[in-house]
Amino acid sequence: MLEKLKADFDAIIELVKMAPPALQEMAFKMILEQWFIANTAAKPAGAATAPVGAATHGSIPETVKPFLTANGITTDILEKVFHPTGPGAQLLASVIPGNGKASKLVSLSLLLCVRQALESGGFTCTLKDLREMAVHYDCYDSPNFSKNLKANKNYYKPREKGADLELSGPGLKKAGEIIKSIAAGE
Amino acid sequence: MDVAQELEDVLEALTLIQKEVNKLKTASVSGQALRNRVKDTYKRWLPVAGVLEAGEIVDTAQLQDVQRAWMALAKLTNSPSPKKAYKPLLKTIVTKTESELLHTFIKGSAIQTIGNSLRKLVQPISDANLLKYLDESIRCAETNCIRASVVLAWCAVAYMIHKKLTSLGITTVNAEFAKMKADKGLMFRTFTRDYVFSSAADVQEAPDAHLILVCRFLTYLDDTQYKHLKGALDLRNGCGHPTGYQPDPVKLQAYYADITQLVLLNPTFT
Repeated sequence: MLEKLKADFDAIIELVKMAPPALQEMAFKMILEQWFIANTAAKPAGAATAPVGAATHGSIPETVKPFLTANGITTDILEKVFHPTGPGAQLLASVIPGNGKASKLVSLSLLLCVRQALESGGFTCTLKDLREMAVHYDCYDSPNFSKNLKANKNYYKPREKGADLELSGPGLKKAGEIIKSIAAGE
Repeated sequence: MDVAQELEDVLEALTLIQKEVNKLKTASVSGQALRNRVKDTYKRWLPVAGVLEAGEIVDTAQLQDVQRAWMALAKLTNSPSPKKAYKPLLKTIVTKTESELLHTFIKGSAIQTIGNSLRKLVQPISDANLLKYLDESIRCAETNCIRASVVLAWCAVAYMIHKKLTSLGITTVNAEFAKMKADKGLMFRTFTRDYVFSSAADVQEAPDAHLILVCRFLTYLDDTQYKHLKGALDLRNGCGHPTGYQPDPVKLQAYYADITQLVLLNPTFT
């Protein structure tokens, strides 16, 4: 690495000279710092620190970013609830927040809408997916399934019976609160 | 017909009827209105039963049990009948419809669509060796053999990990295992095995738990990725050994999402 630094040093000095004299020291520091970052990125095997292949995490769709910003959800928070935080997202929670099946079902529906948004950009959820996940999380109360969704209809955009759920403004807000509460371990 | 929706509606109507029957102060159910509601609900049930009977998701014997209870209930509505005759029939229908028919139907319909979901996840994979395992795994899932599906999909993960590690050269792999053993950090200090591999085939003999740990040591995975891959390996071990654990399609899909993004489609391993 020292050899490469020697080779690049003249070019660095040339660059520094292009800056106004008062800022040359700072420019030198910044360029040198960037040079070290660029030239030490490929770490030797065995150093148990950051991953080499960091590109494996899903990227968050653009349409989800305003929702995250509006609800103060950072990537760290999101990663505690969904994995990955992009296409292929899966719900990580082992327990769905809520008291009783009805409340859990509603929380689950909101989380599934966010999961779908991470997948495709749209905050929607099919009833088929919701039923399957509700059975998985043991919050499926079949005689009251429709009734529970209807009782919380302000969380969803108006829809026909049996149609997919789509989050409304209050639904997005509530989903944000649930995500933060799961991430906080509540 | 949306069978799940129809069954939910029938159950909703039945639980309301159940409540009213329980509330009756008379010994018999004589009111025509209530008896008609039972008849109407039975009429709603019949086409759903037909669809369930024609399909292969629910157990025929369980369906027939429910159907027999329905027929007995419908017969009671022909004339005023004792409340105590209604109660057990209503309870049987509600309980069995919910636990044996509806839940089975939902899980079964998830099985019917799981193949598409899994194929979508592995679609970008082009390596024929991996696809050989994955295709077989998905076909297992489609026939409700979830545990077999988990085990076969892990074969693809193991293949990738072996390939990546042996590409470093056996000497390097031996050296990295020795370095990992010497590492007294929190994550690696419990690793105490001595490995001296002499061929690529030897590497395959090492436990997968150690191979993924060395992948963490080599920084192919970060802590979170390692944790999730370890979880996937635990699921694989739970499915590959005699245990009472039976994962459902939701769990399988999450497992596939993990293994594809952590290893199968991770550029570090390709």
